[in-house]
Amino acid sequence: MSAPEFAQRTLLKPRIVVCVGCGGVGKTTIAAAIGIEAARRGRRVLVLTIDPARRLADALGLRALGNQPQPIPRPTLTRLEVPDQGNLSAMMLDMKRTFDDLVERFADGPEARDRILENPIYRHASDALAGSVEYSAMEKVYEVYGDAEFDLIVVDTPPAEHALDFLEAPQRLLEFLDSRLVQVLIHPAFAAGRFGFRLFERGARRVLQLIERLTGFGFLEDISEFLLAFEGMARGFRERAEKVRTLLLGPETAFVLVAGPGRESQSQALEFLDRLEAFGVPLSGTLINRVRVWPEGGDPPKIPNDEHADVELANLAKALASGEGPDFPAEAAARAAIAAATGYAELVRRDARSTQELRERSEGHGRYWGQIPEFSGDVHDLDGLARIADAIFRTAP
Amino acid sequence: MSHRDAAPSEAFGARSPLGSLLDRRLVIVTGKGGTGKTTVAAALAIAASRAGKRVLVAEMGRGEHVPCLLAPVAPAVGYAGREVIAGVTVIRIDPLQALGEYLALQLGVRSPVDRALGNRSFQQLLAAAPGWRELITLGKVWHLGKMTRDDGQPHYDLIVVDAPSTGHGLTLLDVPRVVVSAVRAGPLRRNAERVEQMLVDPEHTLLLPVALAEELPTRETAELVERLRHRVGIAVDRVIVNGVFPRPFPQQVPDLDARLARLPDSTLSANLPRPSTLAACAHHLRARFELNRHYVGELAHLTGLPVVILPYRFEGIEHPESLTVLADALIGAPRAAAA
Repeated sequence: MSAPEFAQRTLLKPRIVVCVGCGGVGKTTIAAAIGIEAARRGRRVLVLTIDPARRLADALGLRALGNQPQPIPRPTLTRLEVPDQGNLSAMMLDMKRTFDDLVERFADGPEARDRILENPIYRHASDALAGSVEYSAMEKVYEVYGDAEFDLIVVDTPPAEHALDFLEAPQRLLEFLDSRLVQVLIHPAFAAGRFGFRLFERGARRVLQLIERLTGFGFLEDISEFLLAFEGMARGFRERAEKVRTLLLGPETAFVLVAGPGRESQSQALEFLDRLEAFGVPLSGTLINRVRVWPEGGDPPKIPNDEHADVELANLAKALASGEGPDFPAEAAARAAIAAATGYAELVRRDARSTQELRERSEGHGRYWGQIPEFSGDVHDLDGLARIADAIFRTAP
Repeated sequence: MSHRDAAPSEAFGARSPLGSLLDRRLVIVTGKGGTGKTTVAAALAIAASRAGKRVLVAEMGRGEHVPCLLAPVAPAVGYAGREVIAGVTVIRIDPLQALGEYLALQLGVRSPVDRALGNRSFQQLLAAAPGWRELITLGKVWHLGKMTRDDGQPHYDLIVVDAPSTGHGLTLLDVPRVVVSAVRAGPLRRNAERVEQMLVDPEHTLLLPVALAEELPTRETAELVERLRHRVGIAVDRVIVNGVFPRPFPQQVPDLDARLARLPDSTLSANLPRPSTLAACAHHLRARFELNRHYVGELAHLTGLPVVILPYRFEGIEHPESLTVLADALIGAPRAAAA
């Protein structure tokens, strides 16, 4: 895929761009940069982020929490070359609150809502309930999607333990709620066999007995109460989850895989790619953030080392010493300069090596492959983000 | 001396003498993704085995990463574990296998366990239920710690856990407490209590946070230490900072990159890169060095803990020497590492 085609697929065509990848690779930065570039191309963009670095949050005007979009002021947008019809807002997601909102919306009346929100199992588990947190991010995307104010939402996914929790979690939860085990647990009278279910329930019963044996009296009752309250909202939740899933896997959504050049990050990205492919997620491209590139482009040259470099070293030392006093450590400085170039060249080669497998896998499927050079220092303001946007969309990789 | 050998010359953090990392029975290595906690876990295992200890490294993810670091051609270790290099056994704890083992121990027989695990309802329960993976994994660690040899000595002197990245790592360590508060009775509660006791015993267990000297990992590590102190109650006595760039230029020429940039391109022979290229390389290393130095200071300041610096390895950690160098730096006193 060419760079203009990648831009078409991620900036102009979709309604939603999802940045996936493991933690610590700069997903939020990339999401924000994609948002800026889309706004520069005239779209009305919301960047929805989970846990931005503080200075990045400041740059995006996200000091205040609150689950509400914060618009970037017009003068700033103008400076970033965003035309009048484009704009950019950012929002930091409060995941726990989003999930509570979900309960609020779909619970069978206020009584059921309070029973869920106050249930000890919910209170302990709602932030660990197998992917519920990841799912709630996507829930918010769906909510904002219905909002006519934005025509593109760029979202960075939470650093999930399981790559695609945000897609898989609702399904898991629903299957569980539907399972005979839960049905036996919350409708014991029904499941007692009056309707000839007895045989089917035997396995489930055995499992419940096993759990009871391990947890003693009381635990299953708590669980049962929680599930009973939760069941009331299952239908609304199910319909909603299905819509979210259809949207995310449909033609209006583009996925971008973000990874760092490090060995660990690369192997996690490869695992991620496996899962994305197995799930049939339409991946537009892979972006490698913070890659060390040689200043002149291309592969770094072989830099002569000490034995063969005496003349060069002396020349460099002489040039550096020019205009300095006799105490100036010219030779040490020249050595340091050459050592720095040698060391940096090694880093450049290392990144090229470590990213090779992922690159082949990505390009092999006709997807875009892009590298963003590491800039000195942290990127922590909008101009820095705009530079990253330039590196992604305005220069050849 | 090349910049590669130079250690950062500023002293950070350390104020009080620290006990050795190797005195604990259980060290849980955690940190934000990409900080190199797996590398640190492997380096710690090497340090301990060189000190004559029998070490077990427990991995928790889907893949097996530690064996590849320890040996160039490493066979799969799986749930049974395998001695990868002399004195270092690696195991990958698969929660489902651990659950089967636990249930069989509880019931005294295996076949109903296999029936339960094969039951579709039970599988759906496991897919949706929170916490059990964490609890069962920690339970396995507890069990491994209790294993003894024929002479009654512990089978493993030191267990190193390569825990999930910070967020999930904390969930992991919180689970036993949550189980104790949610489950009122029964063997599960008793087991969770034992695991919890193991975790909060400062003589037994140490949590080792691994950070990078950059903004996000610094902030996350500070939050981790804060939560450990106030909620989880697991001992933490130092922070490991991985991949710290050394001072790249002689101290008298801190602006070498700018000086190089001022040289005309005709200064050097064609054998060397242009001065502008030398300047760009030098600038990069200087920027990393200064950024790292700033955040090493921040880490020490925000956590109030001694900081152990692991130098950046330009040749990559795949290099056989690298882990040994890191192992030495890891168990050296923080002050020595920063001297």
